[in-house]
Amino acid sequence: MTLSASERERYSRHLLLPEIGVAGQEKLQAARVAVVGAGGLGSPSSLYLAAAGVGTLGVIDHDRIDLSNLQRQLLFDATQVGASKALTAQARLRALNPEINVVAHDVELVAGNALELLRQYDCVLDGSDRLATRYLVNDACVLLQRPLVSAAIHRFEGQAMTYVPGGGPCYRCLFPESAAAAAPNCATAGVLGVLPGVLGALQATEVIKLLLGIGTPLAGRLLTFDALAMQWREFRFTRRVDCAVCGARPTIRTLADSAATCGGAIASGTERVNPQQLRALIARGALGADGAGGALGAGGDALVSVVDVREPHEFAAGHLAGALNIPLGELARRLAEIPRRAPVVFVCRSGVRSQTAAAIASGDGFQDVADLEGGLIAWAAQVDPALEVIASR
Amino acid sequence: MAARVNTVRIPSPLRDYTAGATQVSASGATVAALLDDLERAHPGMRFRMIDEQDHIRPHIRVFINQREVNALDEAVAAGDEIHLICALSGG
Repeated sequence: MTLSASERERYSRHLLLPEIGVAGQEKLQAARVAVVGAGGLGSPSSLYLAAAGVGTLGVIDHDRIDLSNLQRQLLFDATQVGASKALTAQARLRALNPEINVVAHDVELVAGNALELLRQYDCVLDGSDRLATRYLVNDACVLLQRPLVSAAIHRFEGQAMTYVPGGGPCYRCLFPESAAAAAPNCATAGVLGVLPGVLGALQATEVIKLLLGIGTPLAGRLLTFDALAMQWREFRFTRRVDCAVCGARPTIRTLADSAATCGGAIASGTERVNPQQLRALIARGALGADGAGGALGAGGDALVSVVDVREPHEFAAGHLAGALNIPLGELARRLAEIPRRAPVVFVCRSGVRSQTAAAIASGDGFQDVADLEGGLIAWAAQVDPALEVIASR
Repeated sequence: MAARVNTVRIPSPLRDYTAGATQVSASGATVAALLDDLERAHPGMRFRMIDEQDHIRPHIRVFINQREVNALDEAVAAGDEIHLICALSGG
């Protein structure tokens, strides 16, 4: 491939850099990069990669644009709420740089299509907002031997790492596995809007370095960013010989194996109920007034157990009638108090602790576990304004 | 020997246990002892990091300064900074 006159002008500031020059710019032009998730991280990273002249960009996202996305997802504007993220991103990136090819994958990345999709790309940037997807992308990259630049954000904190095929530790070497509920995403925990801008730009930097073969990649190093303290930290980690996917004797050889490691709570990805759904569940039978937390149906069978995992003083200030109070820190040793015959819905103040509780119960073999998305704050806002929800501290 | 105090950096998903504090003090000659001390001051926190079999949970990493910790019996020296890192999922 050679650069046209307009491309020479467009990329002139790159061409001035001896580390890039014409040869480097042509490498970028020939490169194919997949961006998983057109969200907070995918927005800045895909904009920078498009601007930098990466020849083919694949944007993978099956979501629609929500008004609450606009606080940080700079690919989109207010006129596009409700539209496909992948298709809208494609139009935006093409408008930014008509010289490149942008492919919109308006599909959910799952075990059944991840290898086929990511195989088409030289390098993968993970900006997804679910742990299950993070493991899927990591495992696919290890199986396909594709470099992966991964980042994640939470409130005011971010973390990033790069996997380089051929010996570098992978995401599973860092965090072997995780329940979805253990790591709340932006929708449940909140995030400073500019934070993914910082981490997404860092990811784009790493991808460009990898494509050009310059500098030192963020391999075997976890970089963390604390926006409040304005501090970066670096932690070294090594490849695990017993890593399930990149170790000496991998147990993950297909993406079906990968999905299986995530357990039911992750595989379904739908274990959260909103206040209306919980109200409907409760309405099917009055909650037991005995404090056992069982909503009793006509046959006397519990329909749902509501377990409130807040601290006792929070519970005392206001709680759902019939809910059982087991503070999160005591849950593991008090699981026997929760009836196993009925679905269990964990609730807390904002929907963070309840996610952990759901993971704990699920890990203990509870079959039908959910938690209240947005917590009792959302319940008070949407169902019962009289419920007093006090701060957790 | 006088008890030594180490600084422990708390990841944001666990700050509910430290009243929002980003770092706290704890002491212990090993990682296990230090986490026990942390648990005394911040009840419930240890279980979020350590499972019933006394293994570090797979979505949590503990670092002493920049060095990764793989077992709870690893020694902690005076002045070491302990970093608790939690897998984040937001994007």
